[in-house]
Amino acid sequence: MADGGQRIKGLTIIKPIVYGNVARYFGKKREEDGHTHQWTIYLKPYRNEDMSAYVKKVHLKLHESYPNHNRVIMKPPYEVTETGWGEFEVIIKIYFNDPNERPVTIYHLLKLFQSETDIMLGKKSLVAEYYDELVFQDPTSAMQQMLSNVRPICVGAYKHETDFEEKKEKTLGNIQAAQKKIRYEISELNDRLKAAKEGNAKLKAEIAKLEAEERAEADIVL
Amino acid sequence: MAVSSDVRDILELESRPEHEYVTKESLMNDNKKKKVKKQDHGTFKRPEGMARELWGLLWTDNKDPPPIFPSDSNQGYKQLKAKIGSSKVRPWKWMPFTNPARKDGAVFHHWRKVADEGKDYPFARFNKTVDVPVYSDLEYQQHLHDEGWTRQETDHLFDLSKRFDVRFITVHDRWDKQRYRQRSVEDLKERYYSVCNTLTKVRAPQGSEPKVKGFDAEHERRRKSQLIKLFDRTHEQCEEEEYLINELKKIDMRKKEREKKAQDLQKLITAADSNVDARKTERKATKKKITPQMKFKEGGANPEPGGIKFPDFKQSGVSLRSQRMKLPASIGQKKMKAIEQVLEELGIEFNPMPTEEMVQHFNELRQDIVLLYELKLALASCEYDQQMLRHRFDTLNPNSKTITPLPTTLPAPSPHLGSGGTTTAHTPAVSSLPSTMPGSSMIEEEEDSLMSAPGSPEIEPSLGTIGDEIIDDPALNRKKTGDIDVVGTPQRKRKAAMEQINLLKKMKQKV
Repeated sequence: MADGGQRIKGLTIIKPIVYGNVARYFGKKREEDGHTHQWTIYLKPYRNEDMSAYVKKVHLKLHESYPNHNRVIMKPPYEVTETGWGEFEVIIKIYFNDPNERPVTIYHLLKLFQSETDIMLGKKSLVAEYYDELVFQDPTSAMQQMLSNVRPICVGAYKHETDFEEKKEKTLGNIQAAQKKIRYEISELNDRLKAAKEGNAKLKAEIAKLEAEERAEADIVL
Repeated sequence: MAVSSDVRDILELESRPEHEYVTKESLMNDNKKKKVKKQDHGTFKRPEGMARELWGLLWTDNKDPPPIFPSDSNQGYKQLKAKIGSSKVRPWKWMPFTNPARKDGAVFHHWRKVADEGKDYPFARFNKTVDVPVYSDLEYQQHLHDEGWTRQETDHLFDLSKRFDVRFITVHDRWDKQRYRQRSVEDLKERYYSVCNTLTKVRAPQGSEPKVKGFDAEHERRRKSQLIKLFDRTHEQCEEEEYLINELKKIDMRKKEREKKAQDLQKLITAADSNVDARKTERKATKKKITPQMKFKEGGANPEPGGIKFPDFKQSGVSLRSQRMKLPASIGQKKMKAIEQVLEELGIEFNPMPTEEMVQHFNELRQDIVLLYELKLALASCEYDQQMLRHRFDTLNPNSKTITPLPTTLPAPSPHLGSGGTTTAHTPAVSSLPSTMPGSSMIEEEEDSLMSAPGSPEIEPSLGTIGDEIIDDPALNRKKTGDIDVVGTPQRKRKAAMEQINLLKKMKQKV
């Protein structure tokens, strides 16, 4: 990394990621410790690639009641599987190979419970995962190397629990429709506002006139 | 030590020098220590190997500590107790004295320190006398003649002034009310100062500017009468005044607020204008350049007047895309709530998938929502203003019911308008108008129709309509129900407006 410390201005590299947890209900409370669920929290790339090319390690900070609650994972898969009985916030901290980059922190609420009965019965595991993007603004040339030379982890189809593409399309459509709606309302309201303003100005002028008249009358009386 | 001195005292042995009486210094013991301290200085030498600069700091520090705050360091906590028993008290003596301020040479006795024997009576210097001018007969005849005052009366005034050192209150009290007519303190002062000033003017040498004592009798009289009025107020009057002042303050405050709002209004309108056109062009542009990687993000995209200011992410380094969707804390609870409400109504999740395109659109959407929210607020205040103005108009013009056509409240275009606040229909508010409003019931009715009328420009009452031509269309009333209020109920505001007008009237009457 002789000259790798120089940042490349104006370059932005985006790495989409998916993080979240799956959980499975035992079906009953476990006798020994009262645990009810097995869960796995994970961080993985959205596209099929080996994140260790640029990620040095991932810190997963669990609830303090877990033994050794600071889990450090050096190699993919970046995940922790545990059992438990309660939901809590997991702090995911991603450290990068480039010492110039500060770690990125993600907060994820570990989800265990869902009202749907089939999950309660342990038939299907619950998925709570989110899409996000790591945005590398002006990376160093070394980092750029690492970011662009990533290999796939496995051969074959790479799938997520959630169909993010479909979700994206849907949400985007919703938002754009909403934007149109709101904009229409804005222009409508704007027109109303203008009209009201003009009306007020007219009324004000009228009042001023009347007041002047009244004053004049009063003067005459005096 | 104390014991031995007591013994000596009892035996009347004169073992100590006479001057060792208790003084402040001996009580506080502060002159002795200084000498001891001084000897310490300069005896230290710089230790071997210590840097000169450091030594310099230490040494000067020791010698002359820099004052940080004022302190009385030479006493410390060491000698807080006064050593009273250790020395003799100063002797006092019962002695006669004369007061040089007195002319009769009367002799009185008092206790005094022996050391002060023979000195003047210390309080004599407080006996100040005032030079009361004296005028001759000639001067009086030439310059001092006054219609309201006789010579005798003036003489009496000056005599009293001299006796009581121009203490006018006393002079007024001792005024010979049998012989002369009753005069106020101001009258006395006026005469006295006018005589004095005339005399100084007359006696001043030619060309010099004599100093004249200023006394504005009229002003003084007015001042006193005001004070008397103030003093004579009853409790109820005081309360009422306080109440009125408070109300006036409130009115002023409201007025200022509205003025400020009016200023913001213009800004908002221009923002809304530019928003609509600017967005259309921009959206076309963004659609083309969507590629997932290697792309510049134009942080903030466009300057947003009136909307939310999302932070620029121009800084180098890694960040999460979702951070760019975070609402800045400066936006405030109310707007945040409004945004959430609208999003919920629109069926959009609060945290959509943060792709670049999504973040941009989502942020724009929320900016638009805020703009909409602000527009609604502005419209509400505008309508409130209108009601105020209409009241004013009606009170000014109760007979000839001239009405200017006013295109205002259109029926709300869509249900999302309710986002700004509680959704209440206009009808109940209007029908429960307080009956105490100025003017006749006719006006009230007319107002009702007006409140509903603006939505439909085709039924606007034309200019110059007479009162009996009031339009009361049931269809219009129905329309009112559809109109959704954004911020607060109009009824409350109307009431406030009414109150305000009544108050202003009251105050005017007072004045």
